[in-house]
Amino acid sequence: MEVETASKTIRFKLNGQACSIASNPVTRTSDVLREELGLTGTKVGCDAGDCGACTILIDGEQRFACLTAAGQLEGCDVQTVEGLAKDGKLSPLQQAFHRYGAAQCGICTPGMLMAAQSLLNVKPSPSREEVEDALGGVLCRCTGYSKIVAAVLEASGTETQELPADADSGFGSRTRKVDGEPKLLGTEIYGADTAPDDSLWMRVVRSPHPRATFVLPSPEKIIEENPGLMRILTWQDVPGNNGFGIYPHIKDQPVLAKDQVRYRGEAVAALIGDRKSIEAVTDDDLGIEWVPQDAIESYESALEGKISPVQEIHEDNLLARGFLKKGDAESVYEQSLIKAQGSWETSYVEHAYIEPEAGYAVKRGQRLELFVSTQTPYMDRDEVAQVLGIGPDQVRIIPSAVGGGFGGKLDCSVQPLLAVAAWILEKPIRCTFTRPESLASSTKRHPAKMKASASCDKDGSLTSLSFEGDFNTGAYASWGPTVADRVPIHCSGPYFVPNILAKTRALLTNGPPSGAFRGFGVPQSAIAHEALMDSLAEQTGIDQLEFRLKNALRKGQKTGSGQLLENSVGQAECLEALQSRWQEWRKASEEFNNHSEIIKRGVGIGCCWYGCGNTSMSNPSTMRVGINSEGTITLYNGAMDIGQGANTIMIQICAEALGLPASSFQFIMGDTDLTADAGKTSASRQAFVSGRASQLAGEHLRTQIIHLAEAEEDANLRLDGRTLWVQDKNGEHSILLSDLLPRTNGDVLVGEGTFDPPTTKLDENGQGSPYATYGFGAHIAEVEVDLKLGTTRVLRLAAAHDVGKTVNPTQVEGQIQGGVAQGLGMALMEEYVQGVTENLHDYLIPTVGDMPDIEILLIEDPEPLGPFGAKGIGEHALIPTAPAILGGIRQATGVSIHRIPATPDRVLQAIQQKGMQA
Amino acid sequence: MIPPSFEYLTPSNISDAVALLQKHGDEAKILAGGHSLIPAMRLRLAEPGYLIDISGIGGLDYIQEESGQLRIGAMTCEAALEESEIVQSKYPLLLDTAKMIADPSVRNMATVGGNLAHGDPANDHPATMLALRASVVAEGPNGTREIKIDDFFPDFFTTALAEDEILTEIRIPSPPSASGGAYLKIERKVGDYAAAAVACQLNIDSSGSIENIGLGLTNVGSTPIRASSAEELLKGKKPDENMLAEAGRLAAADSEPMEDLRGSAEYKRALVNELTQRAIKLSLQRAEGSR
Repeated sequence: MEVETASKTIRFKLNGQACSIASNPVTRTSDVLREELGLTGTKVGCDAGDCGACTILIDGEQRFACLTAAGQLEGCDVQTVEGLAKDGKLSPLQQAFHRYGAAQCGICTPGMLMAAQSLLNVKPSPSREEVEDALGGVLCRCTGYSKIVAAVLEASGTETQELPADADSGFGSRTRKVDGEPKLLGTEIYGADTAPDDSLWMRVVRSPHPRATFVLPSPEKIIEENPGLMRILTWQDVPGNNGFGIYPHIKDQPVLAKDQVRYRGEAVAALIGDRKSIEAVTDDDLGIEWVPQDAIESYESALEGKISPVQEIHEDNLLARGFLKKGDAESVYEQSLIKAQGSWETSYVEHAYIEPEAGYAVKRGQRLELFVSTQTPYMDRDEVAQVLGIGPDQVRIIPSAVGGGFGGKLDCSVQPLLAVAAWILEKPIRCTFTRPESLASSTKRHPAKMKASASCDKDGSLTSLSFEGDFNTGAYASWGPTVADRVPIHCSGPYFVPNILAKTRALLTNGPPSGAFRGFGVPQSAIAHEALMDSLAEQTGIDQLEFRLKNALRKGQKTGSGQLLENSVGQAECLEALQSRWQEWRKASEEFNNHSEIIKRGVGIGCCWYGCGNTSMSNPSTMRVGINSEGTITLYNGAMDIGQGANTIMIQICAEALGLPASSFQFIMGDTDLTADAGKTSASRQAFVSGRASQLAGEHLRTQIIHLAEAEEDANLRLDGRTLWVQDKNGEHSILLSDLLPRTNGDVLVGEGTFDPPTTKLDENGQGSPYATYGFGAHIAEVEVDLKLGTTRVLRLAAAHDVGKTVNPTQVEGQIQGGVAQGLGMALMEEYVQGVTENLHDYLIPTVGDMPDIEILLIEDPEPLGPFGAKGIGEHALIPTAPAILGGIRQATGVSIHRIPATPDRVLQAIQQKGMQA
Repeated sequence: MIPPSFEYLTPSNISDAVALLQKHGDEAKILAGGHSLIPAMRLRLAEPGYLIDISGIGGLDYIQEESGQLRIGAMTCEAALEESEIVQSKYPLLLDTAKMIADPSVRNMATVGGNLAHGDPANDHPATMLALRASVVAEGPNGTREIKIDDFFPDFFTTALAEDEILTEIRIPSPPSASGGAYLKIERKVGDYAAAAVACQLNIDSSGSIENIGLGLTNVGSTPIRASSAEELLKGKKPDENMLAEAGRLAAADSEPMEDLRGSAEYKRALVNELTQRAIKLSLQRAEGSR
């Protein structure tokens, strides 16, 4: 059928200005705005009306730009995020978002702002319920929605929360995000928002089968038939090593598969050309001959050995093992009178960052420059170099703003493919994954199959805990070995347990590679240890919170790995902070249940601990700070901000150490040519490790200034244009910055700090000191279960976390609220099924309407190694949520859920089975 | 971009649109709100050669009650139902349904006519219209005809509309006094498609007995389903708990769910059973309240 629709002139009003475009009338409005009009503030997260990132106003009402055909704009009044601010000044709604920290990664922010504005246009003082309803179509994966709702209510004047007016005052203050404004204005540049004008587009062709061999026909014919298609890349085009992977010695995932694929979504070829042409050529047009093979899709088939192994070099499909032994858990358990045991199975969980993988690559001379959404620019640099067969110094990674990561953007996605394409075609190449492609190809949380048992004495002191866990690591290694290592250390929970036996295995299957996802296996194992604690508490007749408090790890005790905890062990304080609420909530739920037959309430509790930093290995960060002759202070921040706020807190910390205000700083993030290596944004390490490096860098710079001024150590610094004033008890000294000779990047004074948290190797029994510090926490959750429908609603949740010292309360709260949302999703609804849930209406993440009220209690037991006492929060924010919710379901219904998520059908089935047994 | 090439046509009235349908046959598709068709085209589930955008045709966006009927123009969006005073005061089932559909952006764009004409058994209005004993008006080359809703969904993703017909109006009999209705839907998260949902519309006589009742089921079969055995059981009765339980069982037996991510067939039957009982109870309360 040769029907090509002609362009049509479409006239409408755009942000108050008359606008006329000549466009195909069924082009999506999102494409018109972004590609034709250059308004990239409107984001595209799914292109299917599921995520709401593209929400705009049409005639004042919120609409999905991706589902609105350009022709439908005729005569309409269109408003985008770019139209909210007046003369560069944030609108009241944007200001409220800024004050509340309602934008974290910022990718959903334009959609959220427009949805909220549509409500405020017609209801200047909406109720909380009306706000939640208005935001119902926009997904956020970072914030847990709390601060967004609070900001909208504040902007409407309906509810206000006390926030200090001058919020930009250093360490411990609610400093507004230093990169907040561009996120609110829609001017922030994410991976898909820019590329050189002459860029070609890349589309990756992926396997539709979990396992198959294939033959790719010679591409000449199809290239000839499609003039806009310039090249089809295959494995033969990879100039260096056709393999990538997290570990230096495991580069097992091909950039482009050769002859066989091991999971559905694996890349086999890349089409390069103009966008229209590469999208018009379908996978079927390529004529790939697939021969599907029996796939290993369960733990059993991975272990049986009936089907040939996923990777030839791992005959038993066993990628890695983890082991920890302390005392003699088996015989203590045997002899114990009070015991609990159980088994649990969890699912693949998708990161579901709203920004799909995207970026562009360009060859400049003999160097490759890659602009990409990433959590780990330095690893990307080294990975791309080995794929191209060039030196790391020949690669420059320039990170885009990152629209959410959660561990998923630690692995390579577009990076090696873009690099190969740009290197051999010698043209700039860009690519943005589609949502189904992102879901199919990206890493996931490891599904786990766990068995665990524990015992205590009659006073309720824990005596033993044993744990066996198989973790489905998918077709390629990714972070599988890390999960196998980290879980044994953490699987006994934040408790003192004298006898522990833990065994883990990472098994290869023909599923998507499991990688790093907020917690590296610890959230899964916490489900097991927390269910055991509830059972032991019940048997001893001790309250579940008191039981945990009695056994909580304390200073002076040794962990399961034999590490002596000397500082910053706030687990007991977290539990104590929750005590009054716990009792009150439990009482309220019992009273409710006395009058309710079908709807039952329960309150559950979950605890966690989490080692900050990489396990038993050197993981240093280096930070630099410089002042130029103009008096501008720049933090060269290699610690990627993926929405969690590294850009802001590193400046807060450095400013505190330097003694100059945070507001006089600017920053450069993650550019491998300009910043030093601050390691990965993972393992809750940036606030702790890079934070300490920022402190040291600030102190280093301060020392130089003090020496230059020949002033006392405790002098006060003041920056006034090009003059640096240093005041001590002897008077005021001045340094004229323009008199100093420039060093790197035009800076005249440069401070540098490096911190590598002290750890030791683990011996064959998993004994040693794998982390320099640990975060601790506890959540309680009140849930409501419908006994006839199996549905669960979380009504309220309180979270207490020991963060050492709070660098920025707004951001710590935001981390916890977002962690709770992801934990709630994991507990109740999230389950990725290969080939089935490859979009955001079949793969569910919580919406604003699914979230409970969240109360946050920050516990501060300072960590001496951390920056001014601070340590990480990123991961343990999530870990206790699912155990608390599952405990709540148990309390409400009397049934335990062993297959996670606790979907309504599973809950109802468990209730019915219990009823039948009764 | 939407992959296949096609012609974009913007008729200015219904008869022109019908003429275009006649001319292009099954190669043409009607674009109303676009919230089902555009994603389908993106996934190449629909590859029309001709796209007939009827959003520029005026006069299809109305909610009017006259001569014993509520008439809803096919291009009326869900948000308009939510905001309609007539719907709010007299059609609680319609109001419940409109509020349960997806999210505000979708409800601003998606049309009632499109929700029916797409033929998707997971959509919410089909069951509602079954319960309300509605009919739809189809306009074709030979004028208009009225199709009873029970005849409108012959098969999976299929409607009774001929290739050259356009759905222009939905007609719902005005409820007598002492009427009530409710739509109860189980979704895995706010805004999801139904795991199962039940629509109920009834009216009661002075003694509180049910005079007429309609029960429609969402997403538990290849088409929207009328729970006719439960309707028959309840007609003329003043149900006690036992009879409600029996009605739930009958409705569950009338459903034909398939196992999917939203649960097993058994689970969905359990939902239909329970939701049917609750929807009837709520409708009875509302009917009492409207006396």
